[in-house]
Amino acid sequence: MRPLPQWVLLSCWLLLIGLLGYYVQRELVVGADLRLFLPAPTTRQQELLLEEVGRGPASRLLLIKIEGSDQLTLARISQSLTAILQDKQQFRFIANGDIGLADLPEILLSYRYLLSPTFDTRHMDADFLATELRRRLRDLASPAAILIEQLVQKDPTLETLRLAQLWQPAQEPQRIYDVWFSQRGDAVLLLAETAAAGFDPGAQQAAMEAIERAFRQARGAIAAHMTVTGAGAFSVMMKDRTERDAMLIGIVDSVAMVLLLIVAYRSARSVVLGILPLLSGGIAGLAAVGGYYGDVHGITLAFGFTLIGVAQDYPIHLLSHQHRGVTPLDTARKIWPTLATGVASTCIAYLAFLVSGVTGLAQLAVFAITGLAVAGVTTRVLLPRMMSTDARDCGDSAWLERLWNELADFPRPGWLTSAAVLASIAVIELAPQPLWENDLGALTPVPQDVLQVDAQLRSELGAPDMRYLLVVSGASAEEVLQRCEALAPRLDTLVTQGALSSFTHPAQFLPTVATQERRRGALPKPQQLREALAQAINGTAFRPGVFEPFVADVERARNLHPLTPHVLAGTPLGPRVESLLSERNGGWTGLIPLGGVHDSETLAALAANADSDIVLLDLKVASEELVAHQRQRILATLGVAALLLAVVVGMALRSVPRALRVLRPMALTTLLVVAVLHGTGSALNLFHIIALVLAAGLGLDYALFFEHAADDPLEQRRTLHAVIVCSLATFAVFAMLAVSSLPVLRGIGVTVTLGVLGNFFLALILTRPHTRRR
Amino acid sequence: MTRPIIGGTCFALITIAASAWSRGAIDPTAAALVARLARPAPAVTQFVEVRFSSLLATPLVTSGQLRYLGPDRLERSVEGPFCEVTTIQGDGVTVAREGEPHVRLSLSRVPVLQAMLSSIGALLAGDSSSLERHFVTTLHGNNSRWQLVLTPADPRVRTTLTEIQVDGSHDEPRCFTLREPDGDASVIVIGDAVPHDLPEPLDRASLDTLCQEGP
Repeated sequence: MRPLPQWVLLSCWLLLIGLLGYYVQRELVVGADLRLFLPAPTTRQQELLLEEVGRGPASRLLLIKIEGSDQLTLARISQSLTAILQDKQQFRFIANGDIGLADLPEILLSYRYLLSPTFDTRHMDADFLATELRRRLRDLASPAAILIEQLVQKDPTLETLRLAQLWQPAQEPQRIYDVWFSQRGDAVLLLAETAAAGFDPGAQQAAMEAIERAFRQARGAIAAHMTVTGAGAFSVMMKDRTERDAMLIGIVDSVAMVLLLIVAYRSARSVVLGILPLLSGGIAGLAAVGGYYGDVHGITLAFGFTLIGVAQDYPIHLLSHQHRGVTPLDTARKIWPTLATGVASTCIAYLAFLVSGVTGLAQLAVFAITGLAVAGVTTRVLLPRMMSTDARDCGDSAWLERLWNELADFPRPGWLTSAAVLASIAVIELAPQPLWENDLGALTPVPQDVLQVDAQLRSELGAPDMRYLLVVSGASAEEVLQRCEALAPRLDTLVTQGALSSFTHPAQFLPTVATQERRRGALPKPQQLREALAQAINGTAFRPGVFEPFVADVERARNLHPLTPHVLAGTPLGPRVESLLSERNGGWTGLIPLGGVHDSETLAALAANADSDIVLLDLKVASEELVAHQRQRILATLGVAALLLAVVVGMALRSVPRALRVLRPMALTTLLVVAVLHGTGSALNLFHIIALVLAAGLGLDYALFFEHAADDPLEQRRTLHAVIVCSLATFAVFAMLAVSSLPVLRGIGVTVTLGVLGNFFLALILTRPHTRRR
Repeated sequence: MTRPIIGGTCFALITIAASAWSRGAIDPTAAALVARLARPAPAVTQFVEVRFSSLLATPLVTSGQLRYLGPDRLERSVEGPFCEVTTIQGDGVTVAREGEPHVRLSLSRVPVLQAMLSSIGALLAGDSSSLERHFVTTLHGNNSRWQLVLTPADPRVRTTLTEIQVDGSHDEPRCFTLREPDGDASVIVIGDAVPHDLPEPLDRASLDTLCQEGP
């Protein structure tokens, strides 16, 4: 061999891969927008769900509990945590229950008589003022007089305080030392709304880290303990756990794989070569997706790397068939038709994903097709030029010969196929649980104790339910606000009746222009107000004329233009309102998060009776419908893919019976795996489907090679060696996943492990060529 | 740029100097006096508080009992013209008013309230070191008619509270007068100094006389 060209070739190849890798690293954005993976919505509920998935306030909410010290210390930690997080970009708002009167900005202060509902039911007249002034006298006689004295002159009815209270959650926890405490009084409670959506684990992670840092800073040397729950906290927690598990398994797998390759080929060079195709394919696939779409979804990556796992088998076939006396290029040329049939049929089958109408699946197709094609080409073009010519002959092994001869005696029961099909169908039909799992949450279940803490915090803080949400639509912000204002009293009645425990609506922060104008119109003229004040002051200790600043503020309010979302946007209240009221596609949408929903039917009836612009969104039902809808689509796509595959295999083998022999083990294995999974109590989900597709791809390769094995017994043994190494490698990798504690990883692992077993043995039984006994 | 730094440094020096001076040059009788004022807990005394405010045409009068329940616990119970109980325990204040939910405040967040309430507590406990933490103290007068002036050490507190003047005779404090920068003031008369009838006319001068000379 000429060593120089070999190393030049390898260097060029690695350089190319390196450049592609650099491009991927630089350009590829990994997105987490679930909508990429969901089909176009067909109902209004699904449409709202997809919008809500992106920006719902309930999913952005983090609930924080700090305990482990005395009340005063905890209150102080709560205050400094809030102060630190207040200015952080990651949060729309952070609340600890403290009503900071001093913090109310001037613009909202001047609007207080337009925003507060106090004078909706009574007039700002002498009677009302007299009652309020008597209360203020008591305040002035208390030790806190020194604090409110200045406010009283401007705001004798303490409208500022009422507004601040109005903006607190509807159902509040108890306040101790100005901040929220749990019912038992042993923990401070806080709420934080993140700027990022709840499903965005990256941004949520950053928010969680900011909270952690702030907590460590606020706590100092005190041994207090913090718990954070909420959708974002869960997604970070589950992502961490999944990554930790996947990382651990990945390391163990890599070691196992290298050991296996060393045992199988007894050469370090073979180990390196064995890794090249999958590596090249993976990076090329990423570059293709990046170049075509600009970004790639995290799920595409996860599924994509699972699917192109088939490519790990390509170099193994080449290495196992190489033996002394032929050049590696000849070996590659010899196995290429079989290998190419596998690569091509799998790639063509994935073409079906391209036209599925779901962007995420199309990405998956681009990734998998590019990856497999490049891995195939690497195996055909690069590897033969890098291999050593004097490799040991894998077929030249006594135990393989024994095994092959014993296998020849294996029965080939003709009834097996029909029996297995019947048994599988019976198991699938008889299993008690539904065949499909629609609850996406079941994939990454949050531990029960964490859920309990979340439920308890949610009820104590009056935080909205994750499941129900009223959505109000309208042509303008004003129209939406009007509908919310009209709906609020009816919801109040339902709260009294116990159908739900709390709700928040946008008009609570920003009343309609009509309401603001009505309130403005009801404010007394300066002279009128002065007379009423004089009457109210009469007989009290207050000095006449002392409330002129108040008169001036009311007069200013009488000349204000009503507050609109646009004006509000620049104030601290802006983000709160934006998360509940926003403009979209030319229309406006208002969200009413509901807390403690006990009777969803009454709420649905309320929405149905109101008008078509108010919808009760049940996130659970809507998402399950969407998942079912998505699955139907994927299954239909896979059906088309299976047909394409059969046609390609048939064309490549130019014989229907041969094609059937190749396809039978794979089809039967798929059915058997489904039966075993279902019979043992699993409901199937998208991850199972993807894993089944991988298993089928592996099975196709096994069967193709068995089917193709020539009459030469050495060549047959080489094929057997290759398939054994392939299936052992896959088995080892996925058996590790199968023992993971996480259902997602376990689902994939169990499915592929079963699939490899089924495909290996069924290919042996059903596809193995007839051997002459010797 | 450097100005605030220089200003801040000067200020810090002045503060340090002031406290050093007050510690070094404190009239030994001030500390001795405070120690003499100590009452064994629990001690109960009646009080009348008269509040002068620019908002008010006539001063606001409340009366009730002050209960000293230990070094860290003081209760101010208003009995007229309405009912209200303020409990100060450690760093926390609870205000209970009839017909309204309890309000709990953290004293460290309201430094002026902390200074005000801790001064009374420290005097009742005879704890001059606690007093010196919050105030610069000066003592005038003689044993039968003394005047202890407490100036808040914290400049933030001084923006709302100028000084607290305590008038007394022998071992008995008679009055606490709280002066604010805007001219408003509260006079709290305690113990045997509380008169059956408040002086007429009820103004700062007549109360001064009451505090200095007794009923």
